Amino acid sequence: MSGENGKRAHWRSLDELADTPEFRELVSAEFPGLEEDIADPATRREFVKILGASLGMVGLTSCRWPKEMILPFASQPAGRAPGVAVQYATAMELCGATVGLLVTSYDGRPVKIEGNPLHPASLGAASAPAQAAVLELYDPARSRQPVRREGGKEARQSWEDFDAFATPHFNGLRASRGRGLAILSEASSSPTLARLRVGLVEALPEARWYGWEPLSRDNELEGARLAFGRSVRGVPDLSRARVIVSLDGDLLAGHPDALRLAREFAATRRGDGGEMNRLFAAEPVPSVTGAAADHRLALAAGSIPALASSIAAGLAAHGVAVPEALRKPARALDARAERFAAAAAADLAVARGRSLIVAGPRQPAEVHALAWILNEALGAFGATLRAVDDPDGDRESHVQSVTGLAGRLRAGEVETLLILGGNAAYDAPADLGLADLIGRARVSIHLSLHDNETSRRCAWHVPRAHFLESWGDARAWDGTVSVQQPLIEALYGGRTPLELVAALSGARVESARDLVRATPTDGSGSPLGEAGWRRALHDGVVEGSGLPPVRVSVRAEAAGPVAARLGVGAGRGTEAVFLADASVHDGRFANNAWLQELPDPITRVTWDNAALVGPATAAELGVRHGEMVALTAGERSIEIAACVVPGVAEGVIGLPLGYGRRAAGPVGDGVGFDVYPLRVSEAPHAVKVDVRGLGRSYVLASTQDHHAIDAIGMEERGRRIGELIVEAEWAEYRRDPDAIRRERHEPKPLALFGELEYGGDHQWGMTIDLSACIGCNACAVACQAENNIPVVGKKQVARGREMHWIRVDRYFKGSPEAPAVAFQPVACQHCENAPCESVCPVAATVHSSEGLNSMVYNRCVGTRYCSNNCPYKVRRFNYFNYFKRTSQVEKMAFNPDVTVRARGVMEKCTFCVQRIESVKIAAKNERRPIADGAIVPACAQTCPTEAIVFGDLRDPSSRVSQLHRHPRAYSLLAELNVQPRNRYLAKLRNPSSGAEEA
Amino acid sequence: MSEPRLSVVAEGPKLYGLLAEFDSVGKLLAAAERVREAGFTRFDAHSPIPVHGLDEAMGIRPSRLPLLVLGGGASGLGAGLLLQWWTNAVDYPFMISGKPLFGLPAAIPVTFELTILLSALGVVGGLVVANGWPQFHHPLFASERFRRATTDRFFVSVEAADPRFELETVRGLLESAGASHVEEVED
Amino acid sequence: MATVPAVVDNSLEDPRRRAPLVLGENDFTTVTEKVCAIAERPRPPREWYIAFAISASLAAVLLAMLGHLFLTGIGVWGLNMPVAWGFDITNFVFWVGIGHAGTLISAILFLFRQKWRTAINRFAESMTIFAVICAGLFPAVHVGRPWLAYWLFPLPNQMQMWPNFRSPLLWDVFAVSTYFTVSLLFWYVGMIPDLATLRDRATTRIRSVVYGILSLGWRGSGRHWHRYERAYLLLAALATPLVLSVHSVVSFDFAVSQLPGWHTTIFPPYFVAGAIFGGFAMVLTLLIPIRSYLDLGELVTTRHLENMAKIVLATGMMVGYAYGMEFFIAWYSGNPYESFAFVNRALGPYAWAYWTMIFCNVIAPQLLWWRRARTTPWMLWGVAVLVNVGMWFERFVIIVTSLSRDYLPSSWGYFKPTWVDLLTLAGSFGLFFMLFLLFLRFVPMFAIAEVKSVMPAGGLEIGPHHGHGQYWGEIPHQHDRQFGEEGA
Repeated sequence: MSGENGKRAHWRSLDELADTPEFRELVSAEFPGLEEDIADPATRREFVKILGASLGMVGLTSCRWPKEMILPFASQPAGRAPGVAVQYATAMELCGATVGLLVTSYDGRPVKIEGNPLHPASLGAASAPAQAAVLELYDPARSRQPVRREGGKEARQSWEDFDAFATPHFNGLRASRGRGLAILSEASSSPTLARLRVGLVEALPEARWYGWEPLSRDNELEGARLAFGRSVRGVPDLSRARVIVSLDGDLLAGHPDALRLAREFAATRRGDGGEMNRLFAAEPVPSVTGAAADHRLALAAGSIPALASSIAAGLAAHGVAVPEALRKPARALDARAERFAAAAAADLAVARGRSLIVAGPRQPAEVHALAWILNEALGAFGATLRAVDDPDGDRESHVQSVTGLAGRLRAGEVETLLILGGNAAYDAPADLGLADLIGRARVSIHLSLHDNETSRRCAWHVPRAHFLESWGDARAWDGTVSVQQPLIEALYGGRTPLELVAALSGARVESARDLVRATPTDGSGSPLGEAGWRRALHDGVVEGSGLPPVRVSVRAEAAGPVAARLGVGAGRGTEAVFLADASVHDGRFANNAWLQELPDPITRVTWDNAALVGPATAAELGVRHGEMVALTAGERSIEIAACVVPGVAEGVIGLPLGYGRRAAGPVGDGVGFDVYPLRVSEAPHAVKVDVRGLGRSYVLASTQDHHAIDAIGMEERGRRIGELIVEAEWAEYRRDPDAIRRERHEPKPLALFGELEYGGDHQWGMTIDLSACIGCNACAVACQAENNIPVVGKKQVARGREMHWIRVDRYFKGSPEAPAVAFQPVACQHCENAPCESVCPVAATVHSSEGLNSMVYNRCVGTRYCSNNCPYKVRRFNYFNYFKRTSQVEKMAFNPDVTVRARGVMEKCTFCVQRIESVKIAAKNERRPIADGAIVPACAQTCPTEAIVFGDLRDPSSRVSQLHRHPRAYSLLAELNVQPRNRYLAKLRNPSSGAEEA
Repeated sequence: MSEPRLSVVAEGPKLYGLLAEFDSVGKLLAAAERVREAGFTRFDAHSPIPVHGLDEAMGIRPSRLPLLVLGGGASGLGAGLLLQWWTNAVDYPFMISGKPLFGLPAAIPVTFELTILLSALGVVGGLVVANGWPQFHHPLFASERFRRATTDRFFVSVEAADPRFELETVRGLLESAGASHVEEVED
Repeated sequence: MATVPAVVDNSLEDPRRRAPLVLGENDFTTVTEKVCAIAERPRPPREWYIAFAISASLAAVLLAMLGHLFLTGIGVWGLNMPVAWGFDITNFVFWVGIGHAGTLISAILFLFRQKWRTAINRFAESMTIFAVICAGLFPAVHVGRPWLAYWLFPLPNQMQMWPNFRSPLLWDVFAVSTYFTVSLLFWYVGMIPDLATLRDRATTRIRSVVYGILSLGWRGSGRHWHRYERAYLLLAALATPLVLSVHSVVSFDFAVSQLPGWHTTIFPPYFVAGAIFGGFAMVLTLLIPIRSYLDLGELVTTRHLENMAKIVLATGMMVGYAYGMEFFIAWYSGNPYESFAFVNRALGPYAWAYWTMIFCNVIAPQLLWWRRARTTPWMLWGVAVLVNVGMWFERFVIIVTSLSRDYLPSSWGYFKPTWVDLLTLAGSFGLFFMLFLLFLRFVPMFAIAEVKSVMPAGGLEIGPHHGHGQYWGEIPHQHDRQFGEEGA
């Protein structure tokens, strides 16, 4: 946020703006009644937001000012104070859906990415990859100039060289009406790109446009077509849902709208509203959603259609109007599955109108169709689900598309291949052999951030401008358009797809900004007016651009074929399921060290993917944890390390995509195992494989269970979990909320000496709601970005030296086959009787008058005694100088408000003291109290489910004080009498009374 | 006492005293006792080992070293407490683990160690000063025989500076006490 | 003067005769000769050079490891986040423990009038000094920023800050440095008469000058002896509580923390017993080979060995008792974390270390119940060596297993030493032995004056006995006759 100068700067810039009618309009529209608020300092935070954005508005061109943005100011431009953080709204697109972001920038140096509270898909939260994008921006491995490859030789080229080649070539293509031109684009929801495409098709009618995205939601679209004969997408609304059934659908993390869904899901999990939703999840491999479910069924992906049909049958039995064809289960399932289906059906039927069924992208179209059908039967439309037209509805599926391209390449019909982003050579279906086919095109041009696997196959690699460096626009899942505005001059130059396509279509090459500016986005059919444009830039969303719900009804003839195909058996053999990786997604983030070091939510493995297999299946296959295995499907085969994880369905192996990159960059190259070779066009989601243990061991660097855990350890851990993670069943809690406190009673042990009086005006404290936490790791990345936390690499993690200040502990409960999962974020508890302090011989860690356990880096000599005496083991030690090899560019990502720690120094969570101080200073200058919620640590800010609450305990009315008194509140290891300032809220589960734990 | 003799004495090197050698502890003790009884004050006994009863035989007053220990100990105790109280509670107080700024229990170890340290330094310091160490030159070192004083022989030395010193009488006294050899030692 | 009739074995317990402490045809002259000869040889035997070369090169390895450590960071050791202390503090506690035997033998046995101490105290004291030097090394280098280690001392500094006197580490600083200083004084003061002996026996100018300076001009004066004995007694009286306090303070590093397995009130006595145990074992480990190599059986008699063996046995039993009591309390306290910490020691991933410790420290010493084992040097030596190993593992078990699994299972870890850890440990032994060999080369390895004074010729019973005058010990009865006539 901003210090004293900041305030002046803002006022100055405000003066410039306050007069303009647009601004008044903007203010009134955006924050109803803010005109008063401007005078009333209480909501200063909103203020900074507007002002930050307003700066953006003053000199939008300023974002594109060369030099000044990167180098220190020689002369101070108007409306800008050095060293003051300003926030700009922008957006990041991932697989054709965006999340709106607010980017904090110091002197034109973006350092921190947060969610945009005004954006419907963000609501202030940001996913781990989005937050880590700032590191991607400063990635020194990003390509800096065009590369030309010819006959095995490669040559760095200047932009002039590229243009010298491209301009005549493109002219030639236009002359030939685009004959032999194929464009392969990654999924994009950009209205501008769509507009340009239209122009392109007009200019080059014979050009072909293909799309490829390794992880798409095509099946869902296909399902809609099956059910309605119309290309719609579903936008779930969990805030209204009482019963949710997820069929292999990772709603809370894998969905393009996950952040909003998680928020809505958690809203009713706290058990305060007198109501609580119930989540049934069936999935082959544990996901964040499965972990959050009240009933989780581990089931092979291939059996889920059958399960779906059982549920349909069950609903029919409960009198739900299910089409005739679907009233009988397709085939018998095992008892557990049947119980699950029965319980789910019963609850769905009861909660008619407030229930929802969602299927995941891995499931075939018919399951999606069935979900549509059942949702309609349950009256979900308009309540828990709305259908909107898919903006790019009439397209063929990505697999069909890329297969078509491969065919034409093979047939030699492609003269010029222009690849916009993506990495098809690495992640296209293996059977197409696209990598080798690219060479068939006489001219191939690849636009991408890195000179990656695909670039290496192309005649030309053209550096792409990062989304933080360039203009663009894109739609959220619900269709809302965001304008993507740059925060910094492109570090290495770089083009955007917009610019390339425009150049190709021969339209006078305007700046990307003008291209975006000229696109009608708000549904009015005409470009935004000045006011609308400014508002769009400021808010980060184009008002009224969301897609309107459409009335759809299931075609009568749909049910038959759907039913027919649900019965298809899972078949013999081990099923390998392809998963989107929580860190690198489909591989595109492989060179991002923050994400590589981010532990997988379930396995806690860093710097690797692995063949995830359940204990029983592992025993069956005779495979140890960490043993290398060979997976063979037909003539395709890979080798990968096995990772035994409770909760993986029998006979299933989970294969996270996106590792084993060969041209990702120094960070990502050779990390993990490439599983794409097993992925073929006819089975892009799951294949049958033969598994053979190879005996060789492989080190998986996990941040939990650092070594294979022995019997007594396992036993003891089981005994402790109940102590550490307090749980209650919703039904009981509702009956008697104080039971938790009673059972756990935390008597205050007698102190040897008088309690210490804390002089501070504020007493900072925190609560973490385990009912709300879904273990998505967003907090960990937020903390890493905010606090300049070093990345230590696989070897160090394997040694147990990871540096994350906040870690999300994951515990399994119950049987290894069907475990219940609980997450517990643990950071420094800021104990009042902090054990770490008294043992430090040099008083390097001491208490502040506001109850913070402060770590004085420059006083620390590194005895590490504090860590030994910390019962929560949240302290982190710089065993080496981890910033030794940090390049100048990467250093731009440092948060200037936080010290970069030296070698031999202990560090830990500070409750983001820099944020606390900046708000305090500002409040002091304005002689006003600090409003509750004005201070938000990075972790709390980005938490999609608002599980983390921070505030002043001295103010009894503050949210955190209330939560500290909450009946679910408890302290971790309270019996040690360390008096932690961070309290946890017990986890509520809401199992159906009918089914016993499925 | 005749002139020439004196003049000779005056001219020749000055006499330090007489050094008598004995071959057993018993004889040494006896001799030391005789010399003391004869009223000599400036004499000394030399032995390779501490001989018990010698201090009585020579009439040595008990040493006052214990007082130094008391002094050292007391100052160590005071210094220890003062140091910890002033540094942690007065000069630069910290809030640490919700503990009091100065607590006696936590102060005991350091205080105790300082007490011991200063006492020990007091003793050794006292010893060195009282014994007039280091003293690298002493007339007795000139005697070849005296070298065995640290090995297996016992000596009594009577200084010429003693008011009752009479060369011959002293020699007689020592020989009659059983000295196996008596020699003059020059200063 | 008459000499003692030779006694071959003085370890027999015969109530009618008190066993002599020096055997063979020895008088003052021969004893002095025997001892000084070792330090006076113009050049030591080849074995000495070999031993010195080995230990010196190990010490050089230590130096190299520390250089590597300073340049790279603590990460070169196997430490991780639950286990932030490993070999470093283990070695520290181990060496400090060794360092306890010397002053203990000198001071406590001295106060208890154990005359047999005279044959071994110089030896043990020197061992103490060198062990404490090795020990002091580790706290200094184990910190993340060694160049700032001086912040642990209350020196006025640019930050206007003072150390935190509530921290056990600071208590350590004071305890260990005090202990080193006092032990050094004790050692040096005790050596002055012997240095004088060397001075007087010196054949070369350089030796007489050097020893002359070191002996401060000692001339065996009765008046000096008088103060000297008083001072020595006082030092002993001060050193005794010091010895007990130092290892207690070291144990506070653990006892004062709240880690299960560390937070134990039994630690201070248990550590002190362990220190004496390990210290005596180390004395035996060093003494037995040297004794036989230099043929010192007449000075370090079987009786001496047996006495030490008995102490090893006794303290070994105490240590064993402490091991058992820890488990009992862990169970009896009903604290689940505490009980798991101990179950985990015995059955967890570090069980191998735990049972090594039990075997070496509890089982092996039981051999010493048999007189034969106590009086047979090589058997005794074997036990002693095992005890040394066991005591190192004791510290390793306490520190590492407790840390590796504390409260939150999510942050459990496992410590594996790196080659740097191992070479540093080896190097510290190198340093220790190197210093010890230098000591053998240049300083009388027995307190000659004290040994002589417990010989018949010491004439202890002559003259009135009172006060401190008696503590070199009385004369063995069978020699009364000898002084009969002379004394009268």
